Amino acid sequence: MPPKLVVQGLSHHYPDEYTGEDVHALDNVSLDVDEGVFAAVVGPSGCGKTTLLNILAGLLPYSVGHVKVDGIDVTGPGPDRGVVFQEHAILPWRTVARNIGHGLEIQGMASEERKKKVQEFVELVNLTGFEDRYPHELSGGMKQRVALARTLCADPVIMLMDEPFAAVDAQTRITLQEELNRITMATKKTTLLITHNVDEAAFLGDKCFVFTRRPGKLKATILIDIPRDRRVWKDLLHDPQFIEKRDEILTLVREEVSPHGDD
Amino acid sequence: MATTSPSVERPRVVRSARWRRFTKGGGVELLIMVLGILAFWSFLSSVIPNPSRYLPAPLTVLFSSSDMLWKGLLPNYLGQTLFRLVLGSVLGLAIGIPFGILLGLNRTVSDIFYPILNFFQSISGIAILPIIVVWWGNSEKTVFTVILYTAMFPITFNVLAGVRSIPRIYVNMLRSLGASRLQVVRDVILPGAMPYIATGARLGIAFAWRAVIAGEMLVGKRGLGWMIFTAQDTDHTDEVILGMVMIGVIWILIDRFALRPIEADTIQRWGLVQR
Amino acid sequence: MNPVQSLSIAVQKLFGRQRLRRIILGSIPFIMLLSLWRMNTVNEWLPPVFIPPMASIIEAISILQDECTGIGGILTMNPGCLFTNHVLSSLGRVGLALILGLPFGIAFGVLAGMNRRVSNVLEPIGVFANAISGIAWVPLAIVWFGIGAMTTLFILLNTIFWLVFFNTLLGVRSVPSVLENSVLTLGGSRWNIITQVYFPGALPSIVTGIRMSMGFGWRALIAAEMIGGDSGLGFMIFVSASEYKIEEVFLGVIVIALIWMFTDRSILVPIEKWTVQRWGMVWRPS
Repeated sequence: MPPKLVVQGLSHHYPDEYTGEDVHALDNVSLDVDEGVFAAVVGPSGCGKTTLLNILAGLLPYSVGHVKVDGIDVTGPGPDRGVVFQEHAILPWRTVARNIGHGLEIQGMASEERKKKVQEFVELVNLTGFEDRYPHELSGGMKQRVALARTLCADPVIMLMDEPFAAVDAQTRITLQEELNRITMATKKTTLLITHNVDEAAFLGDKCFVFTRRPGKLKATILIDIPRDRRVWKDLLHDPQFIEKRDEILTLVREEVSPHGDD
Repeated sequence: MATTSPSVERPRVVRSARWRRFTKGGGVELLIMVLGILAFWSFLSSVIPNPSRYLPAPLTVLFSSSDMLWKGLLPNYLGQTLFRLVLGSVLGLAIGIPFGILLGLNRTVSDIFYPILNFFQSISGIAILPIIVVWWGNSEKTVFTVILYTAMFPITFNVLAGVRSIPRIYVNMLRSLGASRLQVVRDVILPGAMPYIATGARLGIAFAWRAVIAGEMLVGKRGLGWMIFTAQDTDHTDEVILGMVMIGVIWILIDRFALRPIEADTIQRWGLVQR
Repeated sequence: MNPVQSLSIAVQKLFGRQRLRRIILGSIPFIMLLSLWRMNTVNEWLPPVFIPPMASIIEAISILQDECTGIGGILTMNPGCLFTNHVLSSLGRVGLALILGLPFGIAFGVLAGMNRRVSNVLEPIGVFANAISGIAWVPLAIVWFGIGAMTTLFILLNTIFWLVFFNTLLGVRSVPSVLENSVLTLGGSRWNIITQVYFPGALPSIVTGIRMSMGFGWRALIAAEMIGGDSGLGFMIFVSASEYKIEEVFLGVIVIALIWMFTDRSILVPIEKWTVQRWGMVWRPS
């Protein structure tokens, strides 16, 4: 079976917003993700991860290379690629249920059918009882669950996640990572997660793409063959297989972090 | 969108930073638009019947201005209007700032006076003008009263909000150091409320500008407002438009080069007090 | 506990202690002003031509409404109902200007908020139109439309349109672009973005704009009616002043203030609060 996501020879330049200098964000990136695989892209900050995600999402036009989802060229944003953004990207003027059903509403699904589907995903992300709340009444972690449910509910070919747990506190992040693992197990959704957190990438990914610093190139691909039902933090922290993989990724990423800290 | 040759790079266009700022800020569009409007305006004037009455061409308006400059009328009107604006604003600030601080300092005082101030604020200065005309006739005093009345309220209310925005802890800290009330006002209240005072001043002066123009029209005192009003009466539409353009341009100049910089500067300098 | 005490507690409970305090304190200056006014009428410190007796203001209503034939006459704007006709014609003009001005102000505001090119064109025009304060348009409006309803309507529309336009523009710009992107990636169209992201996102700011435009518009209308109108409250007080009918001027001024206070307090402020609170949107484009 052909891969769900294919990126081939993708390079990207853009002029800096203030200085106008040319920024070389991505250099000849090629990667692919098969159906049902959870892939994680990890690299130091400013390695073009977000640029890659924006191109995959269709929010940023690209000129050099190919991006195909399900065999079709990416030319703009579309419902075949659902995105979970870093910031709280759910609409403040819609209730939880209406946010989750938004994708289906746009697709024109009838209201009865939509309600049933929404309920299913409300339960999946453990938000039962909060359907009629507005986002400002929810905690940061709950907002990200809504965003996740909204994306999954629209049933995209592939789910793209841009540092989805970067803005929540450490404790919540651990819970959300385990939840995401459970949901991935249940839905088998093809996913591409962008993160700078090596632990997160190793914990969630079946396949980790490590990027170099700018201009971002694919440095290595690490396969992590740990069954999903074993992926629970308290066990995994002592799992030699996990520790080995995580340290391998960590070493690769460390080589890329500039000695002066953030660049 | 996608091409196959990865080696092709887009040509880089290097431009000077100043040019970039100009184009990014919409400078080119602005220029094109101003010219476009002038062209459209000229075109309209050339096709409508009786343009000298309904819409004289830009050039006609310009000629009328040189004519008025020659006679020394325009500088005279401009000077009078600006004088009224400045005096009215200064008086408005002189009354509004202390009053606002007084209201802000004491809850009881503000509870007493806030409702009545609110009531008088909702009677716009222009609406009380007929009453004042009955009292003092068509005099300079009438115009000033209206300007002062209009400018005072936004200043007072903004200063009040400014004083209220100052965290209690600063006042308490100074009091615990043994400062007197006056010292608290001087060292905490005034600087703390400064950003709001600046905003209020800008708003008050903006209101005053409208009041000056309206007052001149209604009371008949020489100035830009009076100029456009009488020009309409005597069928000199070119002078009406000239006066309007002057009113617009002068306000933009005052706002952009005096009020806004002062406001931005004050907020930047004193804004830290609030955080 | 004696009856006075229990009554006082009951009253305090009914209004709330703080509110009651504010009501009592706030009414002091009004009471003082009214008694000063009354004393002036009795002692004639200032002649009645300057400060009319309170009774004569009430009387003025009945004189103006002398030939009016009840509610029906008021509503059909019977020429006998002088006073209510002026009130209704001012209010009607505001209503008409809102109906005409709001949709355009919002539509152009959203358009300009979405598109730099449109805003680069419209913004400077708006800045200039605003700088030529509403009232300065009156002479030109008189040249174009003559003295009367069209001129006053034009002034009001000019004020409302630009304020609503600018506030909508600011509101749309304040909507985080990630919200737009999230709807785009759900497969939303341009139209979806406008109706589901830009419009609701800008709504608090739009409501503020409407409130502001009503404040400025009401003032501009009164002024325009004075200079270039032939009906309305502004026209009424101006004509009455020139005829030295000071009681009619006072009546008009008080009604102008009351109408504005009522509209602002009972309609505009609640709407503003409702949108902001319901969606928990505290972000406000200044």
